[in-house]
Amino acid sequence: MFKRRPLQSKSEIWMRNIAMGFLIIYMTIFLIIPVVIVIAGSFHQWNPLNQTYNWIGLDNYVRMFSYPTFWQSMANTVIFCVVVVFFRVLLGLAIAYALNSKLMKHKTLFRTIFYMPTVTPLVAVAYVWKIMYNPQFGLIDNIFGLDINWLFDSNFALPALMVMTIWKDFGYAVILFLSGLLSLPSDCYESASIDGANAWQTFRYITLPLLKPTMLFVVVTSIISYLQAYVPVLVMTTGGPGTSTYLSSYLVYDQAFKQYNFGFASAISLFILVLTALFTVISFKVTGANES
Amino acid sequence: MKHKVLKTALYVVLALVGVITVFPFVWMVLSSFKTNGEIQSIVQTLLPQEPTTDNYMNLQQTFDFLRYFMNSIFIAVAVTVLVIYTSCLCGYVLGKYQFKGKNIIFGFVMMTMMVPWSVTIIPRYTMFMEAGLQDTYISLILPVMVSGFGIFMMKQNMESIPDELIEAARMDGSNEFQTFHKLVLPLCKNGISAIAIFQFLWVWEDYLWPYLMIDSEEKQLLAVGLTLFNGRYSTDYGGLFAATTISILPVIIVYVIFQKRFVAGVAAGAVKG
Repeated sequence: MFKRRPLQSKSEIWMRNIAMGFLIIYMTIFLIIPVVIVIAGSFHQWNPLNQTYNWIGLDNYVRMFSYPTFWQSMANTVIFCVVVVFFRVLLGLAIAYALNSKLMKHKTLFRTIFYMPTVTPLVAVAYVWKIMYNPQFGLIDNIFGLDINWLFDSNFALPALMVMTIWKDFGYAVILFLSGLLSLPSDCYESASIDGANAWQTFRYITLPLLKPTMLFVVVTSIISYLQAYVPVLVMTTGGPGTSTYLSSYLVYDQAFKQYNFGFASAISLFILVLTALFTVISFKVTGANES
Repeated sequence: MKHKVLKTALYVVLALVGVITVFPFVWMVLSSFKTNGEIQSIVQTLLPQEPTTDNYMNLQQTFDFLRYFMNSIFIAVAVTVLVIYTSCLCGYVLGKYQFKGKNIIFGFVMMTMMVPWSVTIIPRYTMFMEAGLQDTYISLILPVMVSGFGIFMMKQNMESIPDELIEAARMDGSNEFQTFHKLVLPLCKNGISAIAIFQFLWVWEDYLWPYLMIDSEEKQLLAVGLTLFNGRYSTDYGGLFAATTISILPVIIVYVIFQKRFVAGVAAGAVKG
């Protein structure tokens, strides 16, 4: 009854004008104008240190697509995203399902523990893991009796970053899947058990399809955040050994604030933006089609 | 019988995952009480053999750690309070009002969440340098005082407040500003807790922006301080353990205190999203 009601009182109109006016002005200054600047900048040779800002057309983009480190960073980012998102979803779903079971008590305790790494500052965590990967006195080699120089071996450096990220981020997926499981309608389960479905069938044909929105949310938000990951690289490997741990956003950081190639960095960052947008649109289209 | 086996198996697996989750923190805290010699010795023990608080004491002498810590607290609290207020205000208007253009504005807010930091940081850097705002705290607060994520979360929270409650307040002659501050804000504690922890953490761990903006050492923040510390005293692992412990513990304490509301708030935002 109240839902479709238009704004009535003066104070409601004031409230809307203040809030939305503020929001629009703020977004214009801190989002729209910056994006315009970046697009313009990507067509220029732009270096703030020696004040160059010369029109070079598409040169930055041409250079980007013929730059081996760019392709290396994209490949690393794809591997990083696929592996980390896979384990994040798998662990998140499995642990949430276990915690949701009627057999489990102390749910709050477990939930609190699993979520802890997610709420800790990444810079500090990355330093701790950097020492954990130390080949002389690090925790990992000591516990597993290995002799691997994780962060200085090009075969192991990227996996080392992925393991740390999975450890840090799986708890977020646990919380999301747990709340998804709690919100499922119980009548589906009743009719399934009347029909004689076993535990696996119930999970496969009832729980999993109903959790699809949650799964989509986890996958999309994960990929968007990993496309932006740079702190672990900066702290633990600075992209090395060689270029084996360059992630796309670290490349932007490197080009923009180490080499001060603002124009070139703008082009790469716009490529990441397009990728993010494309990915989001496609994933919503795919699930939208499945649901109808 | 079958249930008992299953139950034990579940507990064992979850406890194992729990140990893996917590162990790096335990190791970090324990190592911060070890001497550098012990940290780097060939024979490793979990517990410090000769516990010492030297790492913490030296921290303040080698660089002004306390200062960084207080600066970070100040900025994180200021930004968090501002973000909570702007998110609630915009979330309330977008969640409870009907007006033309509302969906366009909300769609735009959702789009802003997709824009990576790498796109905005170059123009933002240029804009703030040109405005002469480098090395001021305004430059750290201004660009992050509105959050698309916060507005989205609060819109979800606001929608779950019954219209009847707000309508009743209006009937009693309360204007919208009073309704918002006295009725609506207190009803959103879960959502506010979730935003508070996330936002506090984001500011607390943000590295690049303060690194670019702040030049004077006495204004620098903790996350940047950590990297300076590691660069300058690269072999002082004990000091690094103490420094990371001090930068991680406050967030964990805040989280453990608020975790119930926080989890409820996160869940409420995601289910409907």
